[in-house]
Amino acid sequence: MCSMKTKYILDENDLPKQWYNIQADLPVPIGPSYNPQTLEPVGPEDLAPIFASELIRQEVSTERFIDIPAEVRDILTLWRPSPLYRAHRLEKLLQTPAKIFYKYEGVSPPGSHKSNTAIAQAYYNMQDGIERIATETGAGQWGSSLAFGTQLFDMECKVYMVRGSFDQKPYRKMMMQCWGADCVASPSPETEAGRTLLAKDPDTSGSLGMAISEAVEDAAGNSNTNYALGSVLNHVCLHQSVIGQETIEQLKMAGEETADVVIGCAGGGSNFAGLAFPFYREKIAGRMPDCRFIATEPAACPTLTKGLYAYDYGDVSGYTPIMQMYTLGHGFVPPSIHAGGLRYHGMAPLVSLLHHEGCIDAVSCHQNEVFRAAVAFCRAEGIIVAPESAHAVKTVMDVAEECRRTGVEKTIVFNCSGHGHFDLSSYEAYFAGGLPDYEYPADLIAASLKELPVIPR
Amino acid sequence: MKIGCVINPVAGMGGAVGLKGTDGQVAEAVRRGAVPVAPGRAARLFSLLRPEGHTFLTAGGSMGADLASAAGLTAETVYVPKAAETTAEDTRRACLAFLDRGAELILFCGGDGTARDIYAVVGDGVPILGVPSGVKMYSGVFAATPEAAAECVNRLDEAVMTDAEVMDIDEGAYRENRLAVSLAGIARTPALTGHLPASKWATDARHEARAQLDIARFIVDIMREDTLYLIGAGSTTAAVIAALGEGGTLLGIDAVYDSEVVARDLGEKEILRLLDEYPRVQAVVSPIGAQGFVLGRGTQQFSPAVIERIGPDAFIVIATEAKLSRTPTLYLDTGDPALNRQFPDFIQVVCGYAMARRMPLSR
Repeated sequence: MCSMKTKYILDENDLPKQWYNIQADLPVPIGPSYNPQTLEPVGPEDLAPIFASELIRQEVSTERFIDIPAEVRDILTLWRPSPLYRAHRLEKLLQTPAKIFYKYEGVSPPGSHKSNTAIAQAYYNMQDGIERIATETGAGQWGSSLAFGTQLFDMECKVYMVRGSFDQKPYRKMMMQCWGADCVASPSPETEAGRTLLAKDPDTSGSLGMAISEAVEDAAGNSNTNYALGSVLNHVCLHQSVIGQETIEQLKMAGEETADVVIGCAGGGSNFAGLAFPFYREKIAGRMPDCRFIATEPAACPTLTKGLYAYDYGDVSGYTPIMQMYTLGHGFVPPSIHAGGLRYHGMAPLVSLLHHEGCIDAVSCHQNEVFRAAVAFCRAEGIIVAPESAHAVKTVMDVAEECRRTGVEKTIVFNCSGHGHFDLSSYEAYFAGGLPDYEYPADLIAASLKELPVIPR
Repeated sequence: MKIGCVINPVAGMGGAVGLKGTDGQVAEAVRRGAVPVAPGRAARLFSLLRPEGHTFLTAGGSMGADLASAAGLTAETVYVPKAAETTAEDTRRACLAFLDRGAELILFCGGDGTARDIYAVVGDGVPILGVPSGVKMYSGVFAATPEAAAECVNRLDEAVMTDAEVMDIDEGAYRENRLAVSLAGIARTPALTGHLPASKWATDARHEARAQLDIARFIVDIMREDTLYLIGAGSTTAAVIAALGEGGTLLGIDAVYDSEVVARDLGEKEILRLLDEYPRVQAVVSPIGAQGFVLGRGTQQFSPAVIERIGPDAFIVIATEAKLSRTPTLYLDTGDPALNRQFPDFIQVVCGYAMARRMPLSR
């Protein structure tokens, strides 16, 4: 019998029956979103052409808990509850007194946390009689998750995949094909937004903001089609809350009543939210008073650490509602870093609000140090993480090393949001040397006294 | 594609025998026992070139034809030197013959002097790619090795066209252990960048031009009205002035204030006078040459006195991704070791619109 327990597994019956909605517990009310055409606050009727009715209700709901439909829970049990691991070997490598736990979301069939909301979104659209869903994907994790979800409900799926990732990750698009989805490189000639962007720059590597424009246009122009977003929106963060709720229970199994530091990578913010928001509730309820939250993002696209808290579009072409969030400007095209899922100019309004109110910290990292951390992690723990998740690993190692220096024993929990089996070409590039360390020239922009993000007024 | 291949058979001979250059020194180099360097490099190049899709042109005898034949590379001889001992004039005439025959790329074996001779004929109209065989190779047109040059030619459809500085080295000063480097011009050269999207030869020039335009748009957008900007030499910096709708000095330093060029082709003293006049100054510079010198080689107008007055923090470094891929480390040689140490070990290089790379800076 091993003296050190490594895995903490919940029974299928322990899968949460409700999602936790942080909108009930925000320190200040969240600002409204605005219709990009009328500049009036967005109402349900504005969203109805592209979103399922229940998702619209969840988007603005302030109920603290929302029931998870039985059909959705049934499918989630294919991989949930996901395991919580104690990273004994990483702790030993780092010679840290910290206790490191990671919630592993790479066990879902598509290999990441994205399936948690893909199933729910597909289900609600099926209920509304929708036959087809259009979406965007960056690294391919969301696109493959929605392809998986839609085929379970006999729906069609169209995925606009950021061209940089489309070229880098051929197996992701084959995965989508296996689940019956049609995946095209974005910008594509299939939409007006795509044609306009291609005319402007035929060789663009694309961006999430561009792909969102195409998917929204597709959904708005086809009556049998709705749109689905894999991050950013309130209802997506809601669906991801199963991650944190399970983790709190699993930590109790490990004898930990509290976490000192909760860490996740942040592109649009949903995997971070999924882990952190339930812990935030514990904190404000006084059960984890000293819990600290850290969102990690790429230095190439440092939305929280260097962006403005302002109103901006969620996409490049200005089709989406104007949301209050941290943004680098909707026209910003992040460089082609390997963590394609973190190449987004904005941030979930809920995560943004909590960061603005000082409830959440944020740090940014360069590519090479992130991959260095990922390689150390896989050599210690065995799991080859996705480049996005590797950002969280880097911050975990930084915090754990700080514990070593100070001698303080902290309990660190992070969301290992996906595996990197389709990202091995990124590891290959890292091993070959010469990965560019991109960064956002924030100081130059700040010194210019100009607010480069063009915020609609 | 038609590719001209020319060898400067005496290039590099002076280096091994302490002559620091071979211009006008061939007899002395031979007397000191020097042996030719370039033919061996050229033989390696020719043995690796794949002829598919290309027509090779060359010059007679030791300037290319002999080695091409020995390597089994079919090449048409379009110029024959008059004498066995070749000169810079033969290099220039061979290039003229290549141009007459419609060459779209010129491959050469030589050093900075050879690059300068070829550039004098072809300018930026035809790309050039050098196999390093000389004593000095400060120009940006050289591949790292003969093998790298062959790889670039064999994969031209993946190569990106970049601007590359051709440097003029004062050999007399060099023999006295003084490095006097000036910028002779901006040539075009193909490069395999490794991480840029593959692109066709025909669109390469547009790639680089667009990258320069993105950088220029960003710099113009962050320019303040109360600041004098000293714009350094090179095609990327020239794009900044072009984005303002103005004309600048490609190989020199211009000053911009409130979106207008207020002084052109400045020397050190003129810059110092401007620093007295304008309280707030920033400099926009681009790495120069094969080694990627941010300051000091080819831009001596930014003298230690000037740099000291402006301060290291006031330099904005810009470069395209294609250019940075050829210079993984950037260098600094202000001429004052103490001043060099005031610069950080890593600098931010603007490489796109609101996009930068963190690059190591060596002294």
